[in-house]
Amino acid sequence: MSDITAAAASTTASARPPAAAAASTYLRYVRSEITRGWRNTRLLIFTLVMPIILFGAFSASGADDRLGALTVAPYIMISMASFGAMNSVLGTAGGIAVERSLGWNRQLRLTALTGPQYVLGKVATRFTMAVLPIVAVFVAGDAMRGVRLSAGTYLGAGASILLGLIPLAAFAVWLGYLVRPENLQAVTGGVFSLLALAGGIWVPVENFPTWLADIVKLLPMYWSAQAGRAVLEGGWIGVRGLITLALWTVVLGAAAGRAYTRDQLRT
Amino acid sequence: MFGTPPPSGRGTPSAPGSIPQAAARDVIPRSREAGAHKTAVASPPHSVHLVGLRKQYGTVQAVDGVDLAIAAGEIVALLGPNGAGKSTTIDMLLGLTRPDDGEVRLYGESPQRACTAGRVGAMLQNGGLLPEVSVGRMLESVRALYPRALPVREVLARAGVSELADARTNRLSGGQRQRVRFALALLPDPDLIVLDEPTAAMDVESRRAFWTAMRTWAAAGRTVLFATHYLEEADDFADRIVLLRRGQVIADGPTTEVKALVGGRTIRATLHGLDDAVLTGLARLPGVARVDSRGASITLTCPDSDTALRALLAAYPTVEDIEVVGAGLEDAFVALTSDDSPEIRPAASRQETTR
Repeated sequence: MSDITAAAASTTASARPPAAAAASTYLRYVRSEITRGWRNTRLLIFTLVMPIILFGAFSASGADDRLGALTVAPYIMISMASFGAMNSVLGTAGGIAVERSLGWNRQLRLTALTGPQYVLGKVATRFTMAVLPIVAVFVAGDAMRGVRLSAGTYLGAGASILLGLIPLAAFAVWLGYLVRPENLQAVTGGVFSLLALAGGIWVPVENFPTWLADIVKLLPMYWSAQAGRAVLEGGWIGVRGLITLALWTVVLGAAAGRAYTRDQLRT
Repeated sequence: MFGTPPPSGRGTPSAPGSIPQAAARDVIPRSREAGAHKTAVASPPHSVHLVGLRKQYGTVQAVDGVDLAIAAGEIVALLGPNGAGKSTTIDMLLGLTRPDDGEVRLYGESPQRACTAGRVGAMLQNGGLLPEVSVGRMLESVRALYPRALPVREVLARAGVSELADARTNRLSGGQRQRVRFALALLPDPDLIVLDEPTAAMDVESRRAFWTAMRTWAAAGRTVLFATHYLEEADDFADRIVLLRRGQVIADGPTTEVKALVGGRTIRATLHGLDDAVLTGLARLPGVARVDSRGASITLTCPDSDTALRALLAAYPTVEDIEVVGAGLEDAFVALTSDDSPEIRPAASRQETTR
């Protein structure tokens, strides 16, 4: 780099206010993480193919059977879109744990990227990637079972599913800082399946006994799919759902924050 | 210039009318402290300034009151056996671990701010590389996180690993990984580089190449602090050695002084007709601390080898094959870090003056 170019570059870099510089560092990080995610074809295919296969299998029963207010196909479509998105968001845990074991997060702390930006960047990346399985299942719903919705409903349902996953993102960050990477596979495999089961992904909550359904409705996972279905029914997630999600976000966010701080300070 | 020594190491003179890099870099983040700079101009802040640093893990006092001031352009070895507190000191220095007590300043700022400004590069111990990407892509992604950084091609060249740009990070040998991590540390074109056991995974050849690249980089007046337990490495490369034992600095001085601390020099010679009387006589010579013998060969440990040599020649004119050698760093190291050695603080006076 010639000296003039270097001087010019450094002038433009320092001329920006610190907040803008910090925001641009953050955006560059998210962009490079998303690019890296795109290049991981194996992971990409897995996150896309699994929900589509499961959708095909679970939605095969009678077309006119009803689950709550919906017929089977759209109901399962939302469940599987939510499942695919959940896998992507929960993947934050693995990403953080692996980089922690490599000391890569420590290396990044020597750059202008701050610790909180690192965590938020990982979460934002996974939420962005979560759009893919949602779209894929929506497309499969149309192609395989003829479920066709308006653009607004698609958008609303997709956004609602993502909104419902916010507490799980905090949970994933917590796991990422809590669990050793060598144990993560075992822990997450079990935990994720339990979450999906408890969220009515495998078995619709409508088929649960009432007492169990009541418990499930206290858990955050149920509300991701439920938020999506509510849009299909022409409504929205509702106050009860929002409060449940908010409470879980606070609780899990606090746990994540504590685990993060402990790792950050090595106290 | 805002209390910062000009980075004399940039090598190329500034083009007319261009803003000196260090100044341009400092103006914005430091403008709020503008008042302080006027007083700071008189004495530029140290590259590294540690005061009373302490850190305890469980019942182990990993770092127990470390004071250290490193001026710009110094090359300092942090030397000590495993568990002496080298890595903990470096982690606190870089802001990766919060000290229980004490203060860290890099160029007069907190470690975080110095890092954010791109003034610090580091190779951390056991640090890995981002998996499943090419070396070039990995460096490019980190490069984007600095306010300004050198082109990836340039840092690869400086680290001597241009040929690895397209290699996958998980296919590198131990030595190659370290060199790539060196390139990573060079990205922000830092004024200070901190290396924690940089050559641990390298064979002799790559170790030599690494230090050659490092020397070239440091020759431009930049500050280097490296932790090592390779004594030769500290001896060969550092101007100054800081010796750590059980979390404390037990010696701090120019490499030659730390070596001179213990035993000074050793005289080896051959003397025929050795008996107990002669050995006693040798031990009584002025400047001799200890005598060892094997057959006809004698080894005199001498705090003052000049006096000892003159006395030896006068008293035993038949002495032959005389050899005077400086004590290796190994000797100084073992003597100073063994647990029964007296508390030597040769650095006390020096530290007071540098502080």
